[in-house]
Amino acid sequence: MINLLSPWSITRPILIGYSSSSKITISAFRNFSGSTIKRYSSKGKGKSKAIDGEDDWETIIGLEIHAQLKTGRKLFSPASTSYGETPNTNVNLHDAAFPGTLPVLDLHAVRLSLITALALQCQINSRSTFDRKHYFYHDIPASYQITQHYNPLARHGKIQIFEGDNKVERTFDVGIHQLQIEQDTAKSQNVGDNTLVDLNRAGTGLMEIVTEPDMRSAEEAGAFVRKLQGLLRRLGSGDGDMEKGNLRVDVNVSVRRFGAPFGTRCEIKNINSVRFLQAAIESERRRHIKHYLESPSIPIKQETRGLNELTLETFPLRSKEEAMDYRYMPDSNLPAIVIDQGYLQKLTHELPEMPWDVVKRLTNTYSVQKRDVETLIGLDEYHARGIRYYEDVVAGDKKIAKKAMNWIVHELLGQIGKTSLSWSPDIIPSGLMREMIILVEEGKITGTTGKSIIKHILSTTTSSSTKNNQEEMQIEDILSMLGIEITEGKHSSSSSSEDDTIIKELCEKAIRNQPKSVSDYKKGNEKVIMRLIGEVMKLSKGTANATKVKEELIELLKD
Amino acid sequence: MRITRQRLQSVAAAIKPRISDASPTPYSWISNATPGSSTGKLAGKAIAIKDNISYTVAPTSCSSSILRDYNPPYNATCVQSLISEGAHIVGQTKMDEFGMGSTTSHLPSYYSPVHNPASPQPNEPPRSAGGSSGGSAAAVAEGSSWAALGTDTGGSVRLPASFCGVVGLKPSYGLISRRGVVAYADSLDCVGVLGRDIDTVEQVFEVVSQPDERDMTCASLSSRNKALEILKSYIPETGIEGIRIGLPKEITQTASSSLLDYLKNQGAIIQEVSLPSIEKALPAYYVLASAEASSNLGRFGGNWFGSSITDTVDKNGEERRKRIRTQGFGKEVKKRILAGTWALSADEFDNTYLKALYLRQLLRQNYQSLFRIPHPHSSHQQIHKDGKKGVIDLILHPTAIGTAPLLNSGEKGTKGSDEYSQDLLTVPASLAGLPSMSVPAGKGQDGWPLGVSLTGQWGMEKLIFRLGRVIEEWNKGQ
Repeated sequence: MINLLSPWSITRPILIGYSSSSKITISAFRNFSGSTIKRYSSKGKGKSKAIDGEDDWETIIGLEIHAQLKTGRKLFSPASTSYGETPNTNVNLHDAAFPGTLPVLDLHAVRLSLITALALQCQINSRSTFDRKHYFYHDIPASYQITQHYNPLARHGKIQIFEGDNKVERTFDVGIHQLQIEQDTAKSQNVGDNTLVDLNRAGTGLMEIVTEPDMRSAEEAGAFVRKLQGLLRRLGSGDGDMEKGNLRVDVNVSVRRFGAPFGTRCEIKNINSVRFLQAAIESERRRHIKHYLESPSIPIKQETRGLNELTLETFPLRSKEEAMDYRYMPDSNLPAIVIDQGYLQKLTHELPEMPWDVVKRLTNTYSVQKRDVETLIGLDEYHARGIRYYEDVVAGDKKIAKKAMNWIVHELLGQIGKTSLSWSPDIIPSGLMREMIILVEEGKITGTTGKSIIKHILSTTTSSSTKNNQEEMQIEDILSMLGIEITEGKHSSSSSSEDDTIIKELCEKAIRNQPKSVSDYKKGNEKVIMRLIGEVMKLSKGTANATKVKEELIELLKD
Repeated sequence: MRITRQRLQSVAAAIKPRISDASPTPYSWISNATPGSSTGKLAGKAIAIKDNISYTVAPTSCSSSILRDYNPPYNATCVQSLISEGAHIVGQTKMDEFGMGSTTSHLPSYYSPVHNPASPQPNEPPRSAGGSSGGSAAAVAEGSSWAALGTDTGGSVRLPASFCGVVGLKPSYGLISRRGVVAYADSLDCVGVLGRDIDTVEQVFEVVSQPDERDMTCASLSSRNKALEILKSYIPETGIEGIRIGLPKEITQTASSSLLDYLKNQGAIIQEVSLPSIEKALPAYYVLASAEASSNLGRFGGNWFGSSITDTVDKNGEERRKRIRTQGFGKEVKKRILAGTWALSADEFDNTYLKALYLRQLLRQNYQSLFRIPHPHSSHQQIHKDGKKGVIDLILHPTAIGTAPLLNSGEKGTKGSDEYSQDLLTVPASLAGLPSMSVPAGKGQDGWPLGVSLTGQWGMEKLIFRLGRVIEEWNKGQ
């Protein structure tokens, strides 16, 4: 039988990816700038207040996640999305539900949702549709939210959680029940007797991702959320920022004695950090077990709860009896979305390597540490430039793979950490890094020299111009600047003439020799100091200490 | 600006010499702008628009007190098209509140009623202009506007056209953009055109039937072109020679045999067809339209829409919403909102809403099985499940079950089911999304106008106009 709840076929569906529908082809993978350093260490609160016999109980956890789609505009209106801007400034008439306005679906949001669903190994519905979820509240101007209830975009996906992720004790799959596209609500705030409504967020596109109840501990739920954040960032479909509310989590928790049927579940809504998620699950788990131990014959009340972020205890919001009937109805203003299979294959083919796959591949291929790979991933979760940099340095050369990891993660990032700089692949170009590592490995320079090279480059890099001339910089030039000669198997000492007066004389001479560099420097071009350092190095036949030379030159050039 | 009798007479008289000075006016608002010189396909033409079509200079209130103070901040796409082609928007016309009604009697108390201007004798008791676009039909019939836009959800353009003796077109669903049209039931709502003759209706239709990127249900240029191509390949360029007209046997034909003979003489082939699904169309329509209405009208009364009657301080937002909706909506609107809410409730959904969708689907298939011309959206040639090929091009039947009913004063006295049954013959084409036009066709025994409806395949308006003109010719001889 025909699917009645698919908007009936008087309206032609939106065909996505079909060659004939040239008008609605979707733009290529968008580039989003910006990166965040991910903190991998999770300091979960230790389980407090042990309950007698709690080990007999299993906790069952399912998540419902709302992830904001990173498209820059609202799902059904051209208004831009915003965070922290003046209230009610990014509002289109449709967002305010003006009579006669109609939704116009952002196809870029569909594309981002599709690649997310594919990365979650979901089955994409060949025909998905939009529905209205009705309720009266001041944060929903139309009194209905456009969502996908009857025919969501995708179903039946999964994501694997590994033992060790977020202190998880087993490797297992979390099933994805479904992924749907929907609108966000407005924000409201009580000020005195008044409720103020900000429509800036109203109509922003969200993916609602519902998991199966496959998690068994707070850590497992936390691991899932972290993994999802990494996935969203790598795909560019979301930023997963829980603090800003761009990723919000509702969690369903129930407990049962091992092997018994599922207990009654409670939902804790609107959790905005992984830490609070884990705290909420712990609080709820203890509450349920305590209830069943104290009054085993009374089922726990099914209700929606919130988390008190100060006490880390959950509290009741509303009970099942107060549950609303949302009166779901197909939205006839939005045609069905029909997706071409060939297009889906193309999208699947173009999916970037997921962070956990990178970890697996690099640890297997190069026997490097998982932690280190994760650090590289954390450098740029969106475009994986950290991983690409590492692979460019290694260039398939297994011999230097482990050393390269140490040089990058411990030495380079370690030294960057002591400066005001942030990492970029341009600070020390991968080619230069590779050459240096090879020189060290071949015994042509010492490790200490390698470290000074990094230090030297960082010291001549200003935070405003990380992409300086080092791209053209040759390792030989740097070595000569640092007064280091490459000798077969033996290293020249860089401290044979440490007499400050000699350095001063040499510096003065260099300044006399290079009046142009001096005037450039005084005009504010601080990089030309490199030329003067080079001149001193030449005069000292490469024996002077470059750092000292630089200090001396700066001192002399002050007036 | 509210309408006063003096205002109406002075302003409307300036617009058109043929203005009637009948006291109950079809207008809810009249433009006080003097039509300037304009260019375009509709240059200088006086066109009225229904009170639910957004126009920035007019209070678009849907004839509801809940939207009494609402002035839209943008023009509906169809209004913009009219203005761009030089039309002069003369006014907004009264309607049944939010389009819910068939007699234009569901009006706010501060509106005077709309009288049907097609009275055969001067002193007959007033009759209804039909609804819900009764104001638009009456404005055209009385001659105060050259043409008018209405909206048709289940017959709201065709029924008043039939009662007032004018031409009323409900185009194929999706041909005229709905952006700016205050929604009653999105899957059914169509902007329609009313005029005194088919030439007028066609001229206006050509202007407002355009693709619109801001309405995703509005047909694309390629769909429109495909419909034209299909029409060309199935039907000769001119005349009605060989055009096959089906008369549904489920509908009692009140059309005169002289009309049928006239059509046959022009070369049309007339045959009886069966449309059994139309018998369940009315209940399906009321379930679906009410369900969608309950959804669409949810936005009024809570936050920023719906007149805030401010002499009361409410306990909270919920109380305020209750009060505004209770005071702001009329009886019929409340009735349909409640019915629609009920149809969508979890316990009732499968048995009511879903069944109505199923009946709609059956009806749609029923229509498709009759047409020789394939649906432009179907990717292949029309092949019917039972292997039978469609045989007809147009369906002809009376628009209404009779002439205009007497106008009841206010809402009391109208038995709801009587009013609903007025839509019996118009809702099937609405449910199927097909174009349907009511053309004047003689008079009833009481001397009031009758209309016949022509329904065709999606996108076949041109064919409907062609046959409609033949009926128009016949009608002149009556």
